[in-house]
Amino acid sequence: MRRRTWQRRGASLLLPGLLAGCSGVQSILAPAGTDAAFLSNLFWVMLAGAVVLWFFMNGLMVYVWRVNVGHMSSRKAEALIIGGGIVFPTVVIGVLLSVALNAMPDMRAEGTGTRLKVTGEQWWWRVEYWPEGAEAPIVSANEIVLPANSRSEIGLTADKVIHSFWVPALGGKTDMFPGRETRMSLEPLKPGTYRGQCTEFCGESHAWMAFNTVVLPQDEYDAWLDAQAEPAAAPASESAERGQAVFLSEGCGACHAVRGTAAAGKVGPDLTHLGARTSLAAGTLPMTQDALVRWVRDAKAVKPGAEMPAYDHLTEDELSDLAAYLEGLT
Amino acid sequence: MKRPDLDPETVAWTLGGLAVAGAIVGAAVVFLGLYNVSAKVGHFPGVGSVLHTTFRNSVDLRAMSVDDVPELTDEMAALGAKHFDAACADCHSAPGRGRTATMRAMSPLPPHITQAVGHWNPAELHWIVREGVKMSGMPHWPADRDEEVWPVVAFLTRVQEGMDGAAYTEMTGMEKTAARDFAYCTSCHGERGATDNPHIPRLDILSRAYMTEALSAYRRGARDSGIMEHAATEVTPAALAEYAERFAGFAPEGGSVNGADGDLVARGRALSRAEDSTRVPACAACHGPWPDQLDEAFPSLAGQNQSYLGQQLTLWRDGQRGGGRVRELMHLAAEELTDADIEALAAYYASLAPATLNETAEAE
Repeated sequence: MRRRTWQRRGASLLLPGLLAGCSGVQSILAPAGTDAAFLSNLFWVMLAGAVVLWFFMNGLMVYVWRVNVGHMSSRKAEALIIGGGIVFPTVVIGVLLSVALNAMPDMRAEGTGTRLKVTGEQWWWRVEYWPEGAEAPIVSANEIVLPANSRSEIGLTADKVIHSFWVPALGGKTDMFPGRETRMSLEPLKPGTYRGQCTEFCGESHAWMAFNTVVLPQDEYDAWLDAQAEPAAAPASESAERGQAVFLSEGCGACHAVRGTAAAGKVGPDLTHLGARTSLAAGTLPMTQDALVRWVRDAKAVKPGAEMPAYDHLTEDELSDLAAYLEGLT
Repeated sequence: MKRPDLDPETVAWTLGGLAVAGAIVGAAVVFLGLYNVSAKVGHFPGVGSVLHTTFRNSVDLRAMSVDDVPELTDEMAALGAKHFDAACADCHSAPGRGRTATMRAMSPLPPHITQAVGHWNPAELHWIVREGVKMSGMPHWPADRDEEVWPVVAFLTRVQEGMDGAAYTEMTGMEKTAARDFAYCTSCHGERGATDNPHIPRLDILSRAYMTEALSAYRRGARDSGIMEHAATEVTPAALAEYAERFAGFAPEGGSVNGADGDLVARGRALSRAEDSTRVPACAACHGPWPDQLDEAFPSLAGQNQSYLGQQLTLWRDGQRGGGRVRELMHLAAEELTDADIEALAAYYASLAPATLNETAEAE
């Protein structure tokens, strides 16, 4: 009896957790794009087929072992084995294969709208937008913005080790290799924010290498991209002004770019519009002043192995001024 | 149980064989140089304490009786202190003073005089000072005069009684015999903090904040350099800050270098801006030329000696360069530099006109 209670309690604890995985911002079961919808349908069809097959096979075993024991002619048995063991699976797998193969060209179709290039770094994402006819990209990082109802072309590569790019709510995953460019395209359908994650183990902070994908209606997207192309906003408060002076005097510009200032480093993420992003440190922290202070003071304490050095020699005032400046970079 | 008989002949051969083998091993150690005499490596574990115990017991056995010790007067102690300052403080330092990096690198380590006096009685101190200690570097009294040793012993007993730095200075009458003055610094770094010697960095371009931090790092052993760790430990911390200020006060002189390798300098310049490099951070963001005010904690590199720059960058890249509070920034920045990068960067910064951090400008 005791054991039964434990089992029931275990199940009641486990079930909400399992079900939570089915919805939300990072689930293949809550599709928000053409490719994800297809993959999700494929999953449900295969699951239903698997359930039917499971009952059928178990029913067959019960029939042979319990109901019709020793009463089968060899002719009938051969027909069952050949029919059920060879013909039936071949047909089922053949159908699934042809459906999937048929869908693949669409999923790999070249994007006709926005062109992006995403590079997997240790452990963040370098993002470049290449508008039609542009000579130089609009550089951003750790967040991807896509227009709804348009197929975007995404070029993928990596800096030092293999990463993998996956936004489950929008489509399948594609690996990113150093020195080689792979590609994919995505067609989001519903505006919203969807979480993406590196899905190839890439080192200490692999689990902290995520990003948000923000899907906007086309006109909002166009306005957003125009704003991204602009240089950074000037500091709006005295604290932010002091923060900018800290930023420019402490060598931050060696690795980070803030367009419109002398800071033009390319080693780390571009911060020109950092404050407009929905998350900090590649999906690790919320975009708040407290999180910015925590991150700048000691990045490795948040994200093991991060290449951002600790700025724990700055005073609390300097850190909060700096955070005010960075948060204001919208 | 009957013990097996020992055949005298077998015993003799065995002992003889062992003796020959021992002689061969001994000869190999002596003639082939197998024993490592490095002071850095030190003794095998346990050897040090065996030697030290031997030393203590040997002194105990040989020192005269305490009853034969004469009265040790203050006048004797005053003479002894002056002699100690001239002859002994180079290894044992003195009350109220620290030990230099070089003293601390000796093997066996000469104890600071406040520890060296220990609990020895005057008779034993007399024996040690007169006889010296074999294999320790402690010399014997250079003359054959027992009575001449007593003033030093008189001084040592005052040290045992807890003499402080002020009392020592008063007794020796020598204010700063160990602490060096500013001329000590300029003898290498030049009258105005600049020198033509490619091995010696110029200091006139550096800020007081940076030099104070660097000197303190040398003093603490946080930045590795046999030459500068010794120099910084020969000077008091207060004097270090003062000297840093004096060097920072000199206005850098000289123009940009003409006739330098143009291609190399151009490559260094591009690297210093991190133009299109996702590998190396922009040097200019901390070291200039930079349009905004930079933190004086960062050193200026403009017009610094080329070979010194190359050497320091290599140390940074290889993880051997210590420093002050922001050293981690530079470790990360230099991590991915190649030898060619280092050569180009050193050439570029050396070619600029010597200037302080926030005055650094491109060559005309």
